[in-house]
Amino acid sequence: MSVEETLKKIVTRVTRKPEVAFSPGATFEELEADSLDIVQILVALEDTYDIEIQDEELQEIKNMGDFIAYIERKIGEKGK
Amino acid sequence: MGRTLTLPSIVVTGMGAITPLGLSVAEYWQGLVNGRSGSGPITLFDASAYPVSVAAEVKNFDPEKYMPLKRVDRTSRCIQFAIAAVKMAIESARLDMSQEKPEKVGVIIATSGMMSIIADEGEVLRKRGPMRIDPLSIAKTAPSMVTAQAALEIGAKGPNTSLNSACASGNDALGTALNHLRLGHADVIIAGGAEANVNPISIASTARIGALSRETDPAKASRPFDLNRDGFVFGEGAGILVLETLEHARERKAPILAELASAGWSFDAYSETAPDAETQAIAMHMVLQDAGVAPEEIDYINAHGTSTRLNDAAETRSIKMVFGDRAYKIPISSNKSMIGHLACAAGAAEAVAAVMTVREGIIPPTINYETPDPECDLDYVPNKARRQPVNVCLSNSFGMGGQNCSLIIRRFP
Repeated sequence: MSVEETLKKIVTRVTRKPEVAFSPGATFEELEADSLDIVQILVALEDTYDIEIQDEELQEIKNMGDFIAYIERKIGEKGK
Repeated sequence: MGRTLTLPSIVVTGMGAITPLGLSVAEYWQGLVNGRSGSGPITLFDASAYPVSVAAEVKNFDPEKYMPLKRVDRTSRCIQFAIAAVKMAIESARLDMSQEKPEKVGVIIATSGMMSIIADEGEVLRKRGPMRIDPLSIAKTAPSMVTAQAALEIGAKGPNTSLNSACASGNDALGTALNHLRLGHADVIIAGGAEANVNPISIASTARIGALSRETDPAKASRPFDLNRDGFVFGEGAGILVLETLEHARERKAPILAELASAGWSFDAYSETAPDAETQAIAMHMVLQDAGVAPEEIDYINAHGTSTRLNDAAETRSIKMVFGDRAYKIPISSNKSMIGHLACAAGAAEAVAAVMTVREGIIPPTINYETPDPECDLDYVPNKARRQPVNVCLSNSFGMGGQNCSLIIRRFP
């Protein structure tokens, strides 16, 4: 499963808002994820990919597209 | 000289119950009246290596029936029991929150929270480090969140407290709510207890101190006042009462189920685990005095009756201290023989039963009473419910640690 598909699955599972459409252009706000949801999404991603997400690195992330790229980079760094 | 207060009457206008005998007040009451045991083999975790194999679990509970999925995700079983019973109670009280001043509706729930989650997360912490901990673990565990989530769900902005005085907590929550209402801090308080104690840490620890029954036949394990009792059976669930001033209940034309007449408290200051009959009697004297009820007026005692050797003998002694020879004439029974010991929620679940008793004129039995114990020689309503009018019911709850709290629930004319 691609990172995008995994992220989409996790976001939908956590927010419990299947009616809200996931797209790379969407922000957490548009996906109706509140702060507790975001923490749970981060933990689920860390668990799934065995990565560590740094809070300060998230400042640059504007939408899901950025977030997917960030996670792909983290997965890539893991092998090094 | 203190001020003389004219205290308003406080009435019960609604009830909710999630119990090992069923998921409504009606099912719970039917189970009690029929002398049905809610105990069974432990299924909530693998207890094969534990010295105790029996518990009174809540069966077929589906939290999604009572709250949005999101709240299910963010809460534990204990909180979910509380929310379910609160919603049932306000529905039965026909309490329309949109017609109430939200700051005048409080919620007070007795609970120990859900410490088992901390034990599980401790395992995660040791094995996988701090970044793998469930970020919601404290929110799911903390006793404060039980009452907070329940009030959040219904939008109640009045006094909000989770209360813990061990196994006296359920009564303590109702007594504390009573006093808030008497003093005008709220018009309505939704009060009671919630507990989900059938988990490895609670069962292991309580078994190790020797308080739990080791009987392997579930239906026979809880046997209060019987000579061969060997400890209590852990139960789980929630009991919730909607309490309000009589004036407020009348204004909104609420159904009035009974009166919560008074509460009395004491603390043993004697032992961490062993009960003290003399101090239990102080709580009973206080509750009688506070209600202005003479000992002769008590028609029935809903006992703490845990099924431990020490409790049942001490409670029998304390009842004799308060009622003298009349103790032999008062029917006394233990709901714990059927629902097990709901710990912090016990008093509240038993208050629901006490309200039903004064309304219906039926006294639920103490089941599994087979062999009389010379130390427990009162009328425990053995094995079969008794049809008998009850105007005034005394309900006892005693905590491990020494907390005692008794309530008087009176039939409302």
